[in-house]
Amino acid sequence: MRYSLLCCALLSATPAAAGVEEALSDHILPGFAGFAEAAEALAVTAEADCTAPALRRPWNASFDAWTAIGDVRMGPSETGALSVAFWPDARGFTPKTLTRLISSQEEVGTDPGAFAEVSIAARGLFALERMLFDAEFSGYEAGSYACTLVQTMSADLANQAQALEAGWREGYADVLRSAGAEGNATYLSEDEALTALYTQVLSSLEFTADSRLGRPLGSFDRPRPTRAEAWRSERSLRNVRLYADAAGAFAHTLVDGELPLTEAALTRLHEVADRVADPALQDIEDPSARLRLEIVQQQVRALHDAIEQEVGVPLGLTPGFNSQDGD
Amino acid sequence: MTTRRHFLASLLAVSAAPAVGWAAVGDPNYLAAARLPDGAYMLAGLREDGSTAFSVPLPARGHAACAHPSRAEAVGFARRPGTYALVVDCRDGAVLHRLTPPEDRQFNGHGTFSPDGRLLYTVEQAVEDSAGHIGIWDAQADYARIGEFASHGVGPHDLRVMPDHQTLVIANGGIQTDKWDRAKLNTATMRPNLVYTALDGTLLELRELPEFHQNSIRHLALRADGLVGFAMQWEGEPGMAPPLLALHRRGEELVLCEAPLGDELAMDGYAGSVAFSGDGSEIAITSPRGGRIHRFSDAGRFLGAVSRADVCGIASHAGGYMASDGLGGVLLVGRDGARPLARAEAAWDNHLVAIAG
Repeated sequence: MRYSLLCCALLSATPAAAGVEEALSDHILPGFAGFAEAAEALAVTAEADCTAPALRRPWNASFDAWTAIGDVRMGPSETGALSVAFWPDARGFTPKTLTRLISSQEEVGTDPGAFAEVSIAARGLFALERMLFDAEFSGYEAGSYACTLVQTMSADLANQAQALEAGWREGYADVLRSAGAEGNATYLSEDEALTALYTQVLSSLEFTADSRLGRPLGSFDRPRPTRAEAWRSERSLRNVRLYADAAGAFAHTLVDGELPLTEAALTRLHEVADRVADPALQDIEDPSARLRLEIVQQQVRALHDAIEQEVGVPLGLTPGFNSQDGD
Repeated sequence: MTTRRHFLASLLAVSAAPAVGWAAVGDPNYLAAARLPDGAYMLAGLREDGSTAFSVPLPARGHAACAHPSRAEAVGFARRPGTYALVVDCRDGAVLHRLTPPEDRQFNGHGTFSPDGRLLYTVEQAVEDSAGHIGIWDAQADYARIGEFASHGVGPHDLRVMPDHQTLVIANGGIQTDKWDRAKLNTATMRPNLVYTALDGTLLELRELPEFHQNSIRHLALRADGLVGFAMQWEGEPGMAPPLLALHRRGEELVLCEAPLGDELAMDGYAGSVAFSGDGSEIAITSPRGGRIHRFSDAGRFLGAVSRADVCGIASHAGGYMASDGLGGVLLVGRDGARPLARAEAAWDNHLVAIAG
């Protein structure tokens, strides 16, 4: 018991505090600032021209920026991330809600301020992806209700991005920084804050392996290509790469020194991803294409394990006691 | 006339420690099990201010313990498969009795004492097909097994004695598990239910979840007027964001308690514990996977969320709720948010069990 208390004291004294501050200032806060900037650019473009062809490039830039911090699920992002990136849509809410808005030309679709009240399934990057890339929706004309709706959705996304950025910078960053201080009911010690950040990195990679890749892979007998994330915009593989890059960068802020295993695993991940032919993962009914994607999935897990070994083990961080074991 | 056998029995009774009340172990309000940093397990009694009234070693990680209403005794159930339960003396951790379910039967989660402390009820399932049973043990006669009846469902997990003291409410989780490896066998066709029986097992009422039949009904909370809350764990496709809490009153329809979609998704389809607030005006569930607590009104309206990593244990508290987590935290959760009461160098296990009285 005494020994473990000593470990905790040492942990909180030096590298832990540095890790939290560096994660905030080198990764999380610039990430949200970058996303807010990109989403604002999309909204400004949409004001000038709301047709699908005009918006695909700034939408892609927004999604790229999002991946830097998109898998963070704490503080303002705990539920806030879901209205930016509502995926997977297991119950098909996104097309249902968009169809309802458009067919009855609901007024809320013309008011960015009121749009925050709409179901999160009709907000954010994936709802916009439907409007911009799904032939069912994307053929709308300038001046149509759908075009105004896309302007509204873009403005709402910019509002969300700004609120997230401010929520982190002005609020939640201090909750992390004041970990262990009296009255902080979220983090009762500094190492709890570091553990929470570290958990974000691992969860992101688990989500990529299990969902971004696992959902389309389905079973060997029944691959499910249209369950891939962002396949309509052909971003599926790109997202896997970018989220993994973000996990690597995030991991670097948590510990001092080099992370050679992590770096090697990330390099290898990009190499095996280079062999995947279809960026939208729609070819996985072909067994050899499927195999190449399974290798990518394995490599995401290898990156996860490398980070566990190089960040988690030295810092003495372990996953949750109850969350790992159902009851 | 004193026979030899009676004489020996009375000798044993004298040599065994006499039963003592909760005051003898520091007047705890709650029981909580935990894992210590060295990997050992303990059972602790906590007071409303978060302080520790007692802690005694446990031989293994147990399922939720249940507390005798007056004697300082706790019953801990072995985890999967539940081949035994231990009655523990909370003064020193001594194992007073070891309970073994009948052959081809397993303990399957929780147990509860009758309000007068005379009987212990245990949830059990048949090893072969997970058919549910309720075992009855005499807490005044060395926990002799004195009866049993069907739980009217598959894989029961929790049960309580209703405030009328004449009725049991049972959460039949609905999950059939493999005899050998405990794999879940029927998640596509499972049909959990909430059942009320008389004390002799007569079925009085049975409620199912037609819309969400893959939502395993697992944990119960009870209000003094008979309102029942139950927490669920989703066994269907991930991302479906089903409601994880429901309320029920005898003879009425179930009330599903839904949170906004984003909050529901953040719970990750899993509620670990449920409790009414101290004044009974609201009810909360915890999700260790989502690291959050969801509060609802007693009519089922969402009131808000509290974030806390690995939170799972929750129980009524004069100021709202007391919650415990795998990081060792003990929090007071009120209408205005949470405030830390204590932090132990230990990982609190799934449940925080209120001690009656």
